[in-house]
This record gives sequence, structure tokens and C-alpha cells, in this order.
Amino acid sequence: MERLLALWVEEFATEQADGASLRVLSDLLDALVSVCPFVEPIRLGLLTLPLRGPSRFFGGDQAVFDVVRATVRDVAGVTPLLGVAEGLFCAELAAREGVVVPAGETDSFRRRHSLTVLGRKDLTTTCRRLGIHTLGAFADLEPARVAERFSAPVRVLHRVARGELAEMPEQRDKRLRERLRTARGETERPDEQLGFFGQRSASDDRAQAAARRLRHRLGVESVLVAELHGGRTPDDRATLVPWGAPRPGHRDEAPWPGRLGAPAPTTSLRHPVTVELLSHEGIPIQLGARGTLSAAPHTMVLAQGVRRQVRWSAGPWPMVERWWQAPRRRAHLQVLLDSGEAFLVSTESGAWWLTGIYD
Amino acid sequence: MFAFSSPRPPVPEELRASLRPITLATTKTIPLSAPWADFVPGRGLRRGSTVVVQAPAGHGGLSVALSLLSEASARGHWVGVVGIEDPGVVAMADLGIDLRRVLFVPRPRGAWAESAADLLDGVDLLIVRAPSRAAHGAARRLMDRVRERGTVLIVVTEPSAPWPLPADLSFVVTSSQWEATSRLTSRALTVRVGGRGSAQRSGEHVVHVPDTQGRAAS
Repeated sequence: MERLLALWVEEFATEQADGASLRVLSDLLDALVSVCPFVEPIRLGLLTLPLRGPSRFFGGDQAVFDVVRATVRDVAGVTPLLGVAEGLFCAELAAREGVVVPAGETDSFRRRHSLTVLGRKDLTTTCRRLGIHTLGAFADLEPARVAERFSAPVRVLHRVARGELAEMPEQRDKRLRERLRTARGETERPDEQLGFFGQRSASDDRAQAAARRLRHRLGVESVLVAELHGGRTPDDRATLVPWGAPRPGHRDEAPWPGRLGAPAPTTSLRHPVTVELLSHEGIPIQLGARGTLSAAPHTMVLAQGVRRQVRWSAGPWPMVERWWQAPRRRAHLQVLLDSGEAFLVSTESGAWWLTGIYD
Repeated sequence: MFAFSSPRPPVPEELRASLRPITLATTKTIPLSAPWADFVPGRGLRRGSTVVVQAPAGHGGLSVALSLLSEASARGHWVGVVGIEDPGVVAMADLGIDLRRVLFVPRPRGAWAESAADLLDGVDLLIVRAPSRAAHGAARRLMDRVRERGTVLIVVTEPSAPWPLPADLSFVVTSSQWEATSRLTSRALTVRVGGRGSAQRSGEHVVHVPDTQGRAAS
């Protein structure tokens, strides 16, 4: 078996919300190709490259380690664990421990390990009861005896333990290459966005490419697309979701009882701002139990104490939703200020919120 | 008896005058919907041009800008919306904008010019609300890029922070008046349409944005 140099980058071994792990892996691949063209991504945080060629080129194993360490430090800003052994399974074990197994000693290196490295709890427990604790002891069992007792996946692991197979089936992330290609914009998964658009055209492709570039520049949450569904208020009916995120298949366009009619506000605040509505006497206005206001609005107090005269208001349109559960009492009010601006405000449990601007 | 033996009759002079390269003209402009098309030369937005919509805050600037998109979006053009923090998506749908072909970048975090430039490559129309006062250089670069890519840039501004460069076409809201019954129903906007060159025959027009259906109407 070929001696492999495995790089274990623990910091980027798990999925991260902003996709940093995949991005770092992609950058590492680009950088390490100059060390060895046969560098291979295995999983997030794990790469391998054959050691023989680079070792001859750089003049020794230690020189290769130095180059690889420096490259990873430059690209990812962390120091990787390096390990060398024959076969992917042993190379990963060596990398996690940071050891270099000399040529020809991989077999004894593998046999020393506990059965837990195979990652099968049932196997470990059963074998412990039989007095088998190490891979070596497990490997010495007759294949026929193992086949009698265990299922097919364990038979494969037994072959790994015996050194007949170089790697475990779960070691490689089978979707990784596809994901890397997608992240680099080399291919498009047709279901990424366009199941929704039906057929695609050249302009659709251009827009997708621009969105992908922008997402790379600003982050996953930066480019959004709109989705409409059922609901009463403008902010119930519409959501902005990150571009490329999976979306529900159907669009609910049925009329919704109690919906606020057109015109809808052109600015719909995702995080509503508290405001105060005061009566002519300066008393805060309350929504009564019967859905009426305690007085006519006269002044609206915006953030930082800015006071504006209310010229006219319409509503309230009360909504008691889910009366069969904990009731949620909301009401909406359209407010037209003396300055000519129109707002949609809502009230819930005694507070008033600015939810929309008719800009 | 042979096709070449009798020469074709000449095209009459008056017919020749009316013949124009139709396809070229349509690909060079992006269509506008009903009230706006009548106010603009060529009945559309010329590709590569910059359009400025100016109105005091809360007086219909955003509605006017969004209503300029509706016809183009319904005909399949892609639209980008940069720097408009909380777009009213329902209002956009009411205006006739096809939301399946709209990309939003609500918070470009200080990179509005770069985001706009990136998005220009992928869309046919781009709405931008520049942060407070746009720098002269950034505006110049963006307009150059728009001209080069053949996109239409629509800038939403306020009188207190105008766009630093002259635009090809401008819509300035001079007054707005809500009409209401038991609720707000429609808004009458007085809009001064102006611009450079062929857009010079400008004037003031009263349009309703939104009207009772949430659309734009004269």
C-alpha cells in the first residue's frame, strides 16, 4: 500500500453556518496542488497526498512536512496535524495522533488501536465481552466466525482491521466533490434554485451567477429572494429567504380571510420600531376589549422623542387570531401625518409598533 | 419570367420614411408600463442609462421607482434591489413585479457600490438606494459600468442627499396627496419628468401610485 500523508485540520472539520469549512477546504486544495498535484479532499478537515513523489522532489519527508505546514498556516491560519501511514484508514489514525509511522510498520501500528476507532458501539461492546479490545485481536478472528456473528458492514470493518481494505466506507464524504464544485461556481446543481423557475434561460443563468458571486463577497445571508404565502398582514404574507436556500414547493395564493387590502406599504419593517400614540390630551391610546380605541390619535411619538401631528387615521382593524389557543390580540391602524407621510402601525399587548411605511 | 428579369418595384418614398429597424429599438430599451411610457421618449428606459427618482422621505419615491420595474419584470427581465432595507414585498407583487426574478441585497454593509456593480452583470434593471450621500467617484464608476453593461440603473434619492451626477432621466416628486375613504385608498403624486438630450421634452404629470389596486395609474 502507498504511504499517504494525511492533514487533519480540526478547526474546520465540522460544518459552519457561514460555510467557512468548505471555503477553507477549497482554498487549501488550491494551495496544496502546488506541493503535489495528487492532493485529495476526503472530508471536511481531512486531506491526503501521496508522500513518495513530493518527498523525492523536496528532498526528504521532513521537508514536505515543513512545506505543507507552512502552506496550511498561510491559507487557513491554523497548524494542521500531520500523519503518515499506509492506506487511508491508518493515515487518518496517524494524523489525529500526529505521528509518522515508518515504512513497513503500519500493520503493528493499526493492531495497537482500540476497537472504538471503528466507530461501531455495538461491535465494541460485544467484543469487549469476548475479551477483544484491540484491532489486532479483532483481526485475528477467523473471517468465517465474524460472518456468523455480525452483519455485512462489520465484515467490511473486519477486512479493514486485517489490513485487506485500505479504508472504511464512511471515511470519505461522497458529496464533497460535488459541494466543492458548487462552491467554486464550476457547476450548478439544477435543483438549487430553478426547480422553482420552471425552464431556464440565458438571463436566468446570468442572474444566478451574479447572485453566487455576491454571496461569496458578502456572505450567505446577504442575497435574498422573496416568497409569498398566506397570511393577513404584509409581514405575515411575505418572507425574504437567502438565495439558494431550499424552498417549499407550493405557493399559497388563495384569498385569506381578514387580509389587509391594497395598497400595501412599500417598506415593511422586519424589526418593527416602537412608537407612541397620544390623544389630544397627551394620554397614551389603548386598544379596548371591543376593538375600539380609547381616543382619537393626535400625536405620534417616533424614536428619539420626535413628535409628529396626526392628520388622519383609519382603523383599528382588530384581529383575534387562534382564539382556540392562547388568544393573540392584534390591531392595525393606518396613520397619516400632517407632513404627508403615511404609516401602518400595529398594537399588541398595550404597545404600538411601526410596521410599515407607505413610501 | 425569371425572378431577376423584372426588377422589384421601388419602395415608395413615404413607406421608406416609416421603416425603422424595429428589433434594434426594442432591444435597446426596456419597456415601461402605462402611465410612465407616455411621459418618456421611446416609451421605455434606454439600456445603459441612469434614472434618478427623487422625493422627500415617505413621499412616494420608492413607489415610483418600483412601479418603473413592473412592465419589464412581467416581461421576464431580472431585477436587482440594493440597499433598500425592508422592501415591502407584497406592495411589489401588487405593482405587478414578478418576484421570482428579483434579487434583494437589503444590507450591503458599506459595500453598496461594489454590490451594485456585481449585481449589474446579472440583471437588466437595478434599483439602488445609496447611503446618505454617495461619493462622486463611486457614482461615476457605477454609471460607467451601467453604460458598458447595458443595464438600467434606478437610483432612489432624497432632496437632502441628491445623486451627485446628472442623470439621463429624472422623476422628481414635487407633491403627494393621499386620498382616503375609510382607509387609505390611493395617492396622487405630482412628478416632474426631466432629463438630458431627447428626454428634454419634460413636464409635470399627476400619477396615482399606488392606486386602489396597488398599481400605478394616470
